[in-house]
Amino acid sequence: MKFLLKLSIGARLLITVLILLAAGAGIYWYVATDTFADTSNRRSAFTVSAQDFIAEFNTNDTAANKKYTDKIVTVSGRVSAVEPADTTVNIKFIDSTSGSYAIFAFQEQHLGEAKAVKPGDSISIKGSCSGGIYSMILGYHSISFKRCALTK
Amino acid sequence: MKKTMILAALVLATGSLFAQKKTTTSATVAFDASTSLDALPKAENKTVIAAIDTKTGTIQFEAAVKNFAFANPTIQEHFNGGNWLNSEKFPTFTFSGKFDDLSKVNFTKDGSYTVPVSGTLTVKDVTKPVTTTATVVVAKGAINATAGFGITLADYSITGAPITAGKVAAQPKITVSADFK
Repeated sequence: MKFLLKLSIGARLLITVLILLAAGAGIYWYVATDTFADTSNRRSAFTVSAQDFIAEFNTNDTAANKKYTDKIVTVSGRVSAVEPADTTVNIKFIDSTSGSYAIFAFQEQHLGEAKAVKPGDSISIKGSCSGGIYSMILGYHSISFKRCALTK
Repeated sequence: MKKTMILAALVLATGSLFAQKKTTTSATVAFDASTSLDALPKAENKTVIAAIDTKTGTIQFEAAVKNFAFANPTIQEHFNGGNWLNSEKFPTFTFSGKFDDLSKVNFTKDGSYTVPVSGTLTVKDVTKPVTTTATVVVAKGAINATAGFGITLADYSITGAPITAGKVAAQPKITVSADFK
């Protein structure tokens, strides 16, 4: 500290600027290289059955969106469909009465396990809930998830 | 009575075999606003709803804005934020259009067809015209359609320092791919 006091004002200013630049570069590097954690290692905010989950959106999608959107949610049920999506697959739970469905797109490291799933399998999927929209094309709710993983 | 039931079943079966409107809930839309200064602003949404009517040539897409998956959490947050797509208030992108010359596609014959498409893209409740060329591949009754086009962010009131600084492309590329069965 005494060393710093002995320096001229110009030298002290230069050191301060260099420290600020280094801190700024560090923060930029952290933000630029940050990635999403493996979903299988994240804690679920909610664990629900597919049937109950879809029913919540059919009953009151505003309330359901407020409750689940941007949360990590684990959904369990019997697989209704496995759909090809580009080079990967999406898994769907469909409410046969309303047609509304929850659809899950998988995280890169979990694509292999998704491809092994077949319609009729009873599974649990954990993922980041993107909320539900009422599809004007289909005439029912679509609830989508990204970065999903099968739970063991 | 028995004849009527058989006839009804035949009509239903024929209808489903030759249904003109085909849909998918797993179409893919890629958004690429990366630049030479920043490779991060790009994402994919693999749960897009799409429909094609092979008789009228109409095409529709509906994408949940929040289901675009970015590699970087901060960029994803900005994308959905109030200054950008404001996904809380405007939860979907929609495209509605048609093949300009339906005679260029034969949906009953296997092959690859190139056909102009025109329509409108609605983002944040702003609707703008879009024209592009789609590639339609018909194989054993399945239809794959792909197309790419650019949009100008300012047309949809999306502006900001990262665009001015060249870290986000002012005219991102959108690529769409859908498998209809």
